[in-house]
Amino acid sequence: MPDPPARDEDLVRRYLSGDRAAFAALVERHERRVYNLALRMTGREEDARDATQDAFLTVLRKLSSFRGEAAFTTWLHRVTVNACYDLLRKRQRGPVLERGEDDLPALEPPPVPDHADASSLSMDVQQALMQVPEDFRVVMILHDVQDLRQEEVAAIVGVPIGTVKSRLHRGRIALAKAMGITREAPRPGGSPESGTTKSGERADAAGPSEGTVSP
Amino acid sequence: MSHPDDLLADYVDGTLDERARADVDTHLLGCERCRDEVRLAASAKAALVELEDRPVPFGVTGPVLAEAGRRFERRRGATWDRFQWAAGLAAAAALVVVVALNVGGDGSENTPRPAAAGTGATGATGAEAGDATAPAPLPFFGLEQQLDVNYDVEGIRAVASEAAGAVEAATGGESAGALASGAEDSAQRTGDARGCVRQSGLQDSRDVLIRLIEAEFEGTPAYIAVFAEGPGAGQPPDHIVVWVVATDDCRILTSASQRIPPG
Repeated sequence: MPDPPARDEDLVRRYLSGDRAAFAALVERHERRVYNLALRMTGREEDARDATQDAFLTVLRKLSSFRGEAAFTTWLHRVTVNACYDLLRKRQRGPVLERGEDDLPALEPPPVPDHADASSLSMDVQQALMQVPEDFRVVMILHDVQDLRQEEVAAIVGVPIGTVKSRLHRGRIALAKAMGITREAPRPGGSPESGTTKSGERADAAGPSEGTVSP
Repeated sequence: MSHPDDLLADYVDGTLDERARADVDTHLLGCERCRDEVRLAASAKAALVELEDRPVPFGVTGPVLAEAGRRFERRRGATWDRFQWAAGLAAAAALVVVVALNVGGDGSENTPRPAAAGTGATGATGAEAGDATAPAPLPFFGLEQQLDVNYDVEGIRAVASEAAGAVEAATGGESAGALASGAEDSAQRTGDARGCVRQSGLQDSRDVLIRLIEAEFEGTPAYIAVFAEGPGAGQPPDHIVVWVVATDDCRILTSASQRIPPG
């Protein structure tokens, strides 16, 4: 009977039982996802490399205590997110990480938007992402970019699913504003100048500081 | 009117059921604030969905794999000679006794042989057996819950052969550290599982339980008990026996055995 692809949990067990190749198989299987999660979270290739290595080294160290209570991928994502948080904290790269109201303008002057060019558009998105607070950014990356279900995101981040929904929604709004599409309202009759940002904010969700991200 | 804030993320995702979606649609007709939010959120989502994965740059995971190799060699380096086996057996026996105490007397059948091993020719090594830095050759993780795993006969054979490999290669200190907490956390379930295995009459006095898994076997909830069995006191185990019993009535579902390659 031909072997189906080994489950992650089986590869973990195999490695712990002395199969050296099993860990390499795990890394190979997941490195792209881990790296891209780190890249979107940190916004810099160099940081993404470091976070990826940190994440896999943590996995390696803790593999023997992994007992399969959570799915391996959930655990791996959690480890990766934590590695990103650690790295971002360590770097303390100035204003982007602060949630202060006055510090939010982008690291570099935003390039002239050229929305016909896909790569420059995605640059815009990445830069805008970096202006969204981490806790909101991570939820959007996991759900909207990496296509994980909200339940999985909740398990990875360790918050209730209601919080995932709320962060997803607030984060998207903050991202849109950081991308400068706030006032692009195509609907006739919209009132683009009236700032809904502050007056419209609710007390129940501590949303990102949306009012400050627009240029 | 209160805003349906908790529904808007799903609304943008298009995952609301028909009725909830209709409710939100109705609300949006009369609420400019929510309309704006939905429009912004939808634009952001559309942009995020378009972000493409970048290839992993060359060399990112190389250091990780190198480290994995080093750790692997260290683990292999711990060889199984008699000395280590006796020490490890004493340590394992202590763990089994801890589990037994936690669950009310189970497993007393494990105690005679290890006690003899500890007081025999290798008695001088007893201190090392208790040393946290000494190799702990018999891995025991307490009850491992793999409730979503459905083993088949091949899978059970794989468990046996993995165990044989593990016993042969010995394990590093980290597993030993994981043992006690695992056993304690699941003391009640471990007791149930051990009780079930014992009730089925499978375990004899020469068997040392090294692994206990709660999973499914061919769709039936089952305990998978992995024993190392040896010829007698002080001798390394020479084979692995795996018994699979149903969790509900402890009936035997299957078994597998595997010789441990001589070290």
